[in-house]
Amino acid sequence: MTERRTTPSPSTGAEETAMHPPTPSPPPSLRELFVGMLHVAFSAFGGGLSAWSQRIVVEQRRWMSNEEFLTGLTVARLFPGPNQINMAVYVGAFFHGLRGALVALAGMLLLPFTLLMVFGLAYFSLHTLPAIDRVLAGVVAAAAGMALSMGFKILGQYRRDPVALVLAAATLVAMEVFHVRLVPLVLVAGPLAMAWYWPRGGLPNPPQA
Amino acid sequence: MVLTLPLFHLVLQVVAPSDLASLAAALPGALSHGLVATASASASGAATAAAAVSQVPHCDPVRLNDLGHLVQVMGTFLGLSLFSLGGGNTLLSEYHHISVEQFCWLTPSQFADVYALAEAAPGPSSMLVGLLGMGAGWPEGPGWALLSAYGAELAILLPSTLLMVVACLHWNRMKDSPWRIAFERGLGPITLGILFAVGLKILRTADTNTPGVIVSLMVCLLMLRTRLSPLWFMAVAGLLGGLGVINR
Repeated sequence: MTERRTTPSPSTGAEETAMHPPTPSPPPSLRELFVGMLHVAFSAFGGGLSAWSQRIVVEQRRWMSNEEFLTGLTVARLFPGPNQINMAVYVGAFFHGLRGALVALAGMLLLPFTLLMVFGLAYFSLHTLPAIDRVLAGVVAAAAGMALSMGFKILGQYRRDPVALVLAAATLVAMEVFHVRLVPLVLVAGPLAMAWYWPRGGLPNPPQA
Repeated sequence: MVLTLPLFHLVLQVVAPSDLASLAAALPGALSHGLVATASASASGAATAAAAVSQVPHCDPVRLNDLGHLVQVMGTFLGLSLFSLGGGNTLLSEYHHISVEQFCWLTPSQFADVYALAEAAPGPSSMLVGLLGMGAGWPEGPGWALLSAYGAELAILLPSTLLMVVACLHWNRMKDSPWRIAFERGLGPITLGILFAVGLKILRTADTNTPGVIVSLMVCLLMLRTRLSPLWFMAVAGLLGGLGVINR
């Protein structure tokens, strides 16, 4: 409850950007937003996007205070969708509402996606070449290791919550052994888990993200 | 493969396919369809896997040569968008199911390739969906492939992005709601379980030889213990692949 501090509303950002004294820089224009998000996307070549967006948005360009940024990260992680893309939406909407969200999203996606399409066309044309396939076999092994690390990365925060570990194990078994698909799994297990974790006694005490 | 496959075969043998089918029959409609399909797919997969692991399970690719199929591709991803918990990576198993088993747009090794490609490229790795769409349209030529790629990416991003805009505008009102707290705390452990399942799925799809599996495990460890860019791991592993140390 102590953390219920001056978390500003992104909705008021459009009209009242001058209201954020910890932000020394003036609010970015749409063009600056686009360029900033482009900068984030290309800095994070090979991962670590949210660390990079923090560095660029908060430290280098000083558009937002760290608190404002972290609030955005919480919202971005909570809601469905890729974190970095949600984060771009948050940063854009914070300053310019829906227009800002779209511009920030374009900055984050337009050039990287075009580049990926070039890679993709090259891949689908060339992947039958034995030399390419051999290199890809190695790259795929590294990528599999990256995928494997995703679960371990967030395992630590549930160490002291046996119920969470049981829920996670049951989810893993359901998918791995019984091949339950994602949508029915979330629709069944989600409400059960929500019921278990429903805040009791009117004392919201969420764990640290 | 020498290292991983016995493990997964064990899992498959412990749960006989017939058990799965009967279990699936007991479950309600939509759920059981998916289950039976995957159970039989994996059962036949297990039978052939011993002989030739990289053999593609036979199914007819769903062709993309008319707008109806494009609408189907987009509809599939539109429906999944709001289920991308935990940053979107939870959808990887579902992407694999859709593009390899359900519609046969890609072979398993192509799926592993485009996953690696999306991880290596700059920008959010969720742009993988664009590559899946490209794979779906590829047999009809590069033009269709690009159209289908943009359509698929648009479809997977649109619902979650719109929801995010709404969430930003109303965050102050919902941040102390019990619904939000229960959602955040309840869905976290489920996301954790899904991410482990996804990791195993990708590892199995990569389907490399023993040195490859060792490299995967080492990369996993290095990802957790160091802050090195994963591009280095990919470069070194790619070199090992080119030299023939890692193959599949």
